[in-house]
Amino acid sequence: MEFLLEILTEELPSSHIRSARAQLEEKFRRELEGARIGIQSLRTLATPRRLIVVGDFAAGQEDREAVVTGPPKAIGVGPDGRFTQAAAGFARSHGVPESALEVVLTPKGEYLGFKRTFRGTPTERILEDAIPRILGSLTFPKMMRWGASPFRFSRPLHRLLCLFDGRSLNVRFESLTASDRTVGHRILSPGEIRVSGFAEYQARLADHQVIVDPQERKSSIQAQIAEKLAPLEAQVYPDPGLLEELTDNVEHPLVILGSFPEEFLSLPIEVLATAMRKHQKFFSVVRDRKQLAHFLGVADACEDAKGLIREGNERVLRARLVDARFFWDQDRKVPLAKRAAGLRDVVFQEKLGSYEDKAKRVKKITGYLCDKLEGGGRPKKEAVEAAGLCKADLLTEMVKEFPDLQGRMGGLYARQEGYPAALSEAIYEHYQPSGLDDDSPPSLSGRILSLADKLDSIVGVVGVGIEASGSSDPFGLRRNAHGVCKIILDGKLRFSFSLLLDRVLAVYGDRLTVARDAVKRYVLEFFTGRLRFILERRGFRYDLVAAALGPGIDKVLDVLLRVQALDALKSSPQFEPFILMAKRVNNILRDQPPGKVQPDFLEEREERELASTFSIVERNARAMIARGDFEHAQNIIFRLQPVLNAFFDRVLVMAEDKKLRQSRIGLLQAIQKLLAEMADYSQVVVEGDAAAKSGPAR
Amino acid sequence: MALQDLILDLQKFWAGQGCYLAQSYDLEVGAGTMTPDTFFRVLGQRPWRVAYVQPSRRPTDGRYGENPNRVQKHFQYQVILKPSPGDIQDIYIRSLASLGIALADHDLRFDEDNWESPTIGAWGVGWQVLLDGLEITQFTYFQQCGGIDLAPVPVEITYGLERLEMFLEQKDDIYDLDWSADVTYRELRQREEREFSEYNFQAADVDTWRRMFQACRREAGRLIERNLLLPAYDMCLKCSHSFNLLDARGAISVTERVKMISEIRALVNQIAARFTAEKEA
Repeated sequence: MEFLLEILTEELPSSHIRSARAQLEEKFRRELEGARIGIQSLRTLATPRRLIVVGDFAAGQEDREAVVTGPPKAIGVGPDGRFTQAAAGFARSHGVPESALEVVLTPKGEYLGFKRTFRGTPTERILEDAIPRILGSLTFPKMMRWGASPFRFSRPLHRLLCLFDGRSLNVRFESLTASDRTVGHRILSPGEIRVSGFAEYQARLADHQVIVDPQERKSSIQAQIAEKLAPLEAQVYPDPGLLEELTDNVEHPLVILGSFPEEFLSLPIEVLATAMRKHQKFFSVVRDRKQLAHFLGVADACEDAKGLIREGNERVLRARLVDARFFWDQDRKVPLAKRAAGLRDVVFQEKLGSYEDKAKRVKKITGYLCDKLEGGGRPKKEAVEAAGLCKADLLTEMVKEFPDLQGRMGGLYARQEGYPAALSEAIYEHYQPSGLDDDSPPSLSGRILSLADKLDSIVGVVGVGIEASGSSDPFGLRRNAHGVCKIILDGKLRFSFSLLLDRVLAVYGDRLTVARDAVKRYVLEFFTGRLRFILERRGFRYDLVAAALGPGIDKVLDVLLRVQALDALKSSPQFEPFILMAKRVNNILRDQPPGKVQPDFLEEREERELASTFSIVERNARAMIARGDFEHAQNIIFRLQPVLNAFFDRVLVMAEDKKLRQSRIGLLQAIQKLLAEMADYSQVVVEGDAAAKSGPAR
Repeated sequence: MALQDLILDLQKFWAGQGCYLAQSYDLEVGAGTMTPDTFFRVLGQRPWRVAYVQPSRRPTDGRYGENPNRVQKHFQYQVILKPSPGDIQDIYIRSLASLGIALADHDLRFDEDNWESPTIGAWGVGWQVLLDGLEITQFTYFQQCGGIDLAPVPVEITYGLERLEMFLEQKDDIYDLDWSADVTYRELRQREEREFSEYNFQAADVDTWRRMFQACRREAGRLIERNLLLPAYDMCLKCSHSFNLLDARGAISVTERVKMISEIRALVNQIAARFTAEKEA
């Protein structure tokens, strides 16, 4: 039977709408399932003023037969086979005749009992009971009170419409009583509407200029955009986030095509995009990837017959662009290098000093990274100079007005001043990536500067005792760490992370309040956790990720290379026997003191074979490991498996003779040491695990 | 319709809603919210309805009278209704209609915007009201003021008079607005904007204003001790204006900013706490 709920509110923020829809669906499902009401369908819809739940539910709970148990059979039935006083009392207390009693078998033995049918509650009652509870439990990131009530919600509530099977439910919530009525569009058709079901609700509201289905509004926006742009042979610059938001912001979308004077096209595209998309929520219009002097806005209206909406929006955008051009012209009058001097007065973090202090540190870290990165072509001069200038744009009018443009403005101003590309690109890109789904800086100088800047922040923040916990990460530790990992992994940058941390700590000198080794330990652990998260998010098996993290994260890139090697080889026929063998080596060596290989004591053919194979494998594999070619290294190491197998079959490791035993243990320990540089194989889950565990260890 | 007609219409409309029509406060403030007719009256239980024009000074917004949209002093039309009426959005929409705006030809939007003023320990939840993309009003359900939870909740409606007038006159330049039939905004205000921009950004003496800030801060503290809460609050407003001027002169570092704001807030919160305690006693 059909269920319809509409909560009419004042205009809800887009993020609250999304959250409320998810909560409503989850809570209704839980309540109904908990009450054993069959759900044929359940979905949510919304407009800025309406949260809507539509469902098809069973009419009520199924009648249910249950057994009520009484005394044990031994007590309830006398030796004569007749019911005792106890049985009679039990029947009487439940209001059933003695004849209804029967013997039932329970886990505790035989008991007397009877079957009773419980009538199911109609869904109506269940909903009337559940709805106030559900509405009262909705939460929002920021809640408010209004009027004289202490009740809190996202925005003030106005009406409840609540129907089940065509009839309004008896629901009261706060000061509201549910009815079968709602209202149309606030401005275009504000009258009251009475409905008896969802189809009518949807149709009548459409007549009153409200499209209740967000999907329909979104398609309408897309269709209107396409229609407006066809004559221009232009395209909309894709912005899925903006499309979602605008869909949530209107009850009746009307796409407006407007334009601005061509002269503003001389402004950087970054500035135009921010003024249009961020501030005015307009889509940009492009042709052949070039910005046109047009924009697309989404109004909550039916038509713009007089063009007033378009003109109004054009006027507002023009004012913004006039401002932006003023900033662009003003800012360029002061060179970045001169402006950077003012960073002395801008505090980065109270204990960590000013942005000038930060710039000095980042210069040193950048220089170090340029020296230490493997591979050639490092733009050291440009990257270091960029480090000194990269925060200067915080003092420009444009960044004060459009904070999102930090970094990018600095890069644009640097380019205008004629600095080399490697320098201006580094500044432009040094905040990238802003998250795991953002791109790494395209240029090498940008990657290096971004790494240096982020590591300076991470080490500094940890070094004054600030940690990320749960959802709170006020100083962006997690975001910065993700950025660092992403840049290293995307850019295939290979260097010792541990030595870099030493360098950053040294650059900080005695500014930090936490002991250096504690900072380093925390940062390494923190990064290990972040890498685990990132690699699992990329779809690698959790056990392979754990194995790849085993050898540590000194070379961050190698963790990825290791897990890729394991992933590539996990289906090869050698993989499983090898893993089992590696685990067997670990098991045998558990708690063994260090041994030493004595070539003189290699008695058996199998152990001589193992020793000689190992010496070749070790030499070749280490060369590959040093190059980061873990797949190749792994293939070489696979060769140990058959010889180890033969060794275990024929040779008794725990020999009576102490010297013999120590020599054999020493050989296995040398093998174990090499394996540990590849991965912590004990983390890898293979099917043969169970069998291996029960197998004998010799 | 000239700007003064807009003011007259709003006065008439809100008087019709039972508002007492206050006169502008005679100190420099950054927003209508900061004047005593809002600050003290939103505290406590007593219902309150007030409307008034308040000149609002934001020294950093000065553009030497050259920018068509920005000025260091603008005029707000401030409305407070406590408790917030259930149909306040409809009332507000009627106020726009009463100005002759045919809303069916336009795009009116309530766009999420939560307001806060750390200086007076106040925040609220609401929207910026956009008319064809132009922000004409800040619409806020006040949740806290002077660090005190407000119950009942007042609603604050702040019209930007110049913005609204630019919309009504369909003009691109604030200085082209008509204040009355024969006086323009340019005539009244452009010289003031030019001179005050120069004053705010260059000429204001930093030491004088620093001393002013400190002197008013001490005075506020002293007055609070004597329970002269309204004069003490005036001193906080003077601190706030001194702070704004120093900020425009670029004389305040980031840490100093946080410190100065929290100093003012601490005083304002004390005033609010004492004022509320008095009322409840």
